[in-house]
Amino acid sequence: MPRLIVYAILISGLLALLPPAIIARVRATPDPNPPVHIFHDMDFQTKYLPQSENAQYADGRAQRPPVLGAVARGETYADTHYYDGVSGGQWASAMPTQVPLTMELLQRGEARFNIYCTPCHGYDGAGNGIVNQRAIALVSNAAGPVNGTVWVQAKSVHDETVIVQPIGQIFNTITHGVRNMAGYGSQIPVEDRWAIAAYVRVLQRSQNATPDQVPADRRAGL
Amino acid sequence: MSRFLFPRWTNALLPLLLVAGATLPLYVVFVVAYGFSPKTLDVGYMPSQPVPYSHALHAGILGMDCRYCHNTVESAAFAAVPPTQTCMNCHTQIHRDSPKLVPVRQSYETGLSIPWAKVHKLPDYSYFDHSAHVNRGVGCVECHGRVDQMEVVWKDQPLSMGWCLDCHRDPTDRLRPVSQITNLAWDQKTQMTREERESLVKLYHINPSENCSTCHR
Ligand code: HEC
Ligand code: HEC
Ligand code: HEC
Ligand code: HEC
Ligand code: HEC
Ligand code: HEC
Repeated sequence: MPRLIVYAILISGLLALLPPAIIARVRATPDPNPPVHIFHDMDFQTKYLPQSENAQYADGRAQRPPVLGAVARGETYADTHYYDGVSGGQWASAMPTQVPLTMELLQRGEARFNIYCTPCHGYDGAGNGIVNQRAIALVSNAAGPVNGTVWVQAKSVHDETVIVQPIGQIFNTITHGVRNMAGYGSQIPVEDRWAIAAYVRVLQRSQNATPDQVPADRRAGL
Repeated sequence: MSRFLFPRWTNALLPLLLVAGATLPLYVVFVVAYGFSPKTLDVGYMPSQPVPYSHALHAGILGMDCRYCHNTVESAAFAAVPPTQTCMNCHTQIHRDSPKLVPVRQSYETGLSIPWAKVHKLPDYSYFDHSAHVNRGVGCVECHGRVDQMEVVWKDQPLSMGWCLDCHRDPTDRLRPVSQITNLAWDQKTQMTREERESLVKLYHINPSENCSTCHR
């Protein structure tokens, strides 16, 4: 058999291994290039989806922010108890009528607290969440605070000054923040903020309870 | 006139040709099926992002819940990527001079959005709803993989129609209690028995639709 033919067979055999090798590599490694669209079909339509871009506007946002001062129908925020935690010019000391205190509400509050508050305040509310610990480690770095980090210890919700606060004030802390804590009003809907405020009360009660506050039939389990 | 005769060595090629003829179709099928599958073309897309933001740090080491940032995921079709304000809840203080956070601080001052690159994108003719899945016990990990271990997010699943339907035909093994949806390390196959998962199907009244109009509306 002529050499040429032998080489041709060997080379085409080797070349045939190339596509599977490329496929295996592509499958195994992440790739910064967008997926190939050979047929565009109707994949990219001239419509705007949430958080998409529109070059027509100076800020590039397709989703237009409401005009300053716009009020949605039915949302006049006139109910200061519900929206601000203020009733009769003072911090409200009861839950608003829109969110009655139920077991479901407290469970909702627990779940929401664990999402939004535990990074700093910890699961028990004592102020020792993981982010709080990291931040304190960054501040007390031997060679000076890392990247100019500053941090104020997240306050324990069991602090005397917080325990005496009416629930409306706690609601306000969640909504607008306090001193070094940012507000969560834009991240958490109103009902959930009330649920969290109610759960803060649960934590305060349960973490500072005395044995005689435990119902008699449950004391055996302590 | 001399007749053309195949040289004797061509006889050796005959079995080779037969083998090639038999394997070539298989080979082509293999290359097309694997090479053009969404698992090859789509999975692994990892665009570079304007900020070296790490899920492995925030969601993994710091243990933050996905919903702290993607807070619309339970109530809307769209799982919003967080606004700059959310980062600044912490980064007005933590690493506040970090060079890695320059675009975040700029965005905070100018009010312009950070141009995050979108990783997961269905074609515009298909409809997807996060709240329908997340509130029915389908965890983030089923569709996005171990995001809490990714430095940069990549596309972990093909998100093709066949892939959606695989689950819609029988979601039982891929369901978890709603309380565990953002717990990516939790595995329903080891933590729950098949019976328990079947009881979830009843509890959440799960009956995913295979009608075309469910996803093409
Ligand atoms: C990014 C970290 C962080 C998160 C998340 C956070 N806090 Fe705070 N919180 C703080 C810090 C820091 C303080 C102390 C502020 C100070 O004294 O300057 C504080 C203080 C408080 C106080 C005491 C206010 C007072 O009047 O002294 C309450 C109550 C509170 N937080 C509740 C919450 C609740 C409820 C959430 C969840 C919605 C939450 N926090 C989320 C960091 C945080
Ligand atoms: C501290 C805020 C934060 C937390 C917590 C967080 N994310 Fe993200 N996530 C982001 C930001 C910012 C982006 C956009 C940049 C990027 O893709 O890396 C993003 C992007 C994503 C994307 C890709 C979106 C796209 O463009 O297709 C997915 C999927 C995702 N996150 C899932 C998760 C999951 C699952 C968790 C919980 C384990 C989580 N995230 C927790 C901030 C967060
Ligand atoms: C709940 C608090 C919190 C939120 C919210 C948060 N981060 Fe962080 N982030 C941290 C902490 C704590 C560190 C430092 C961890 C360490 O150094 O160990 C950090 C570190 C970083 C770093 C690395 C900085 C450096 O110089 O090493 C980047 C980048 C970053 N975050 C980006 C973001 C972005 C973007 C967002 C918004 C999507 C965000 N973070 C939201 C707490 C947070
Ligand atoms: C059933 C599969 C599925 C589950 C479960 C799921 N996602 Fe997604 N996710 C998708 C798909 C599909 C897209 C692309 C949507 C599009 O392009 O319209 C997406 C997109 C995203 C995006 C980009 C923004 C958007 O909506 O397009 C983020 C952020 C995200 N997911 C986060 C999450 C988080 C956090 C969870 C868990 C709480 C989660 N996802 C659960 C399938 C899923
Ligand atoms: C891991 C399992 C799983 C995957 C993957 C999955 N789904 Fe679903 N899907 C479900 C379940 C469970 C339901 C809820 C069924 C019910 O409500 O009875 C559902 C419901 C839906 C609905 C119905 C929402 C409504 O309003 O009734 C749509 C639309 C949908 N899925 C689209 C998709 C698309 C598009 C994909 C692929 C990108 C996808 N799903 C992937 C499990 C899945
Ligand atoms: C569970 C959701 C779901 C259902 C049900 C569904 N599709 Fe799809 N379909 C998708 C998704 C997601 C895509 C986009 C896949 C991709 O990324 O290319 C798609 C793509 C398509 C395409 C375009 C394929 C291409 O590559 O050009 C066609 C055609 C289509 N679907 C037809 C149908 C028909 C007909 C039915 C009813 C029998 C149906 N689909 C039911 C989710 C669904």
